[in-house]
Amino acid sequence: MPEIVLHAEVGRTTGTASSKRLRHEGKIPGILYGHGAEPIPVAVQAKELRTALSTEAGLNQLLALEADGETYLALARELQRHPVRNTVTHIDFQIVNRDEMVTADIALTVIGDAVEVRHADGTVDQQLFTLTVSAKPSDIPTSLEVDISALQVGEAIRVADLVLPVGVLAVTDGESIIAAAHGGHSGPAADAEAAATEG
Amino acid sequence: MLMPRRVKHRKQHRGRMTGVSKGGNEVTFGDFGIQALEPAWLTARQIESARIAMTRHVKRGGKVWIRVFPDKPITQKPAETRMGSGKGNPEYWVAVVKPGRVIFELAGVDQELARAAMERAIQKLPMKAKFVVRPGTHGAPEVQI
Repeated sequence: MPEIVLHAEVGRTTGTASSKRLRHEGKIPGILYGHGAEPIPVAVQAKELRTALSTEAGLNQLLALEADGETYLALARELQRHPVRNTVTHIDFQIVNRDEMVTADIALTVIGDAVEVRHADGTVDQQLFTLTVSAKPSDIPTSLEVDISALQVGEAIRVADLVLPVGVLAVTDGESIIAAAHGGHSGPAADAEAAATEG
Repeated sequence: MLMPRRVKHRKQHRGRMTGVSKGGNEVTFGDFGIQALEPAWLTARQIESARIAMTRHVKRGGKVWIRVFPDKPITQKPAETRMGSGKGNPEYWVAVVKPGRVIFELAGVDQELARAAMERAIQKLPMKAKFVVRPGTHGAPEVQI
């Protein structure tokens, strides 16, 4: 995965007022940390950040963060969002090494049509949307596909059932359920409806 | 309708609804959600009415999550009663909802059907609310500006 260059300004003043001022200017305040380095408060252009994180890899896009004349290999970590507008208000960047394993959350995409479940009027309930994996930064997959076409009512697909790419280890417990199939008459929507009519 | 099984105190103060919601602001369980844009007291009847509107439109399949619980008792004095002689009787239950709070979530249906069902549910709510999609899925961007 080639990294995307992102320019970051250093030396921003920390605090609520100055951070608000930055957001008005179309910048997002953030922090750069990792590998024993002192945390550096940075600010990035919101538009540049959106472009950088709008690739197929999403939040796991490897970034070449240019800050203070140096280039850091980094990953975007926690994104703080405004509760109503959903805009990003703060971002964490973690410095990573190409040869060291890092943990990342990978999106799980459900593919296929669960024919058996559909014929039984059942529903497929996806319980896990991301999988935490450990991999080298360049080996982090963009997403993992979960095929549910063979799923039957009463069965579930677990993390241990997934075939992960080489060099990728699952951190999430292998027994965690990714998707489960429920029967038609005991489905969650039917249960809620029944409970409501009883009440 | 939703209501607590038992409570420590029968009557509560009304309180204030300033600021924005500090938790439950993201679609966590399903794919789509209804997010409040204004503060309001959401009664148990309104929650139930919205839920029914949504599940009936979806017809089959789909899973609904109710992310709020009406745990605040609201009292009312009987009609034509003189002022004084204490606080009224608990009449109904509300959930205090602040802007940003995700009230319902839905999964297992396509986006068009989910939007139509949730627009119907929004009509049953006492405040402005919007249809939201889990970021990074169904074409919704991970980063919004």
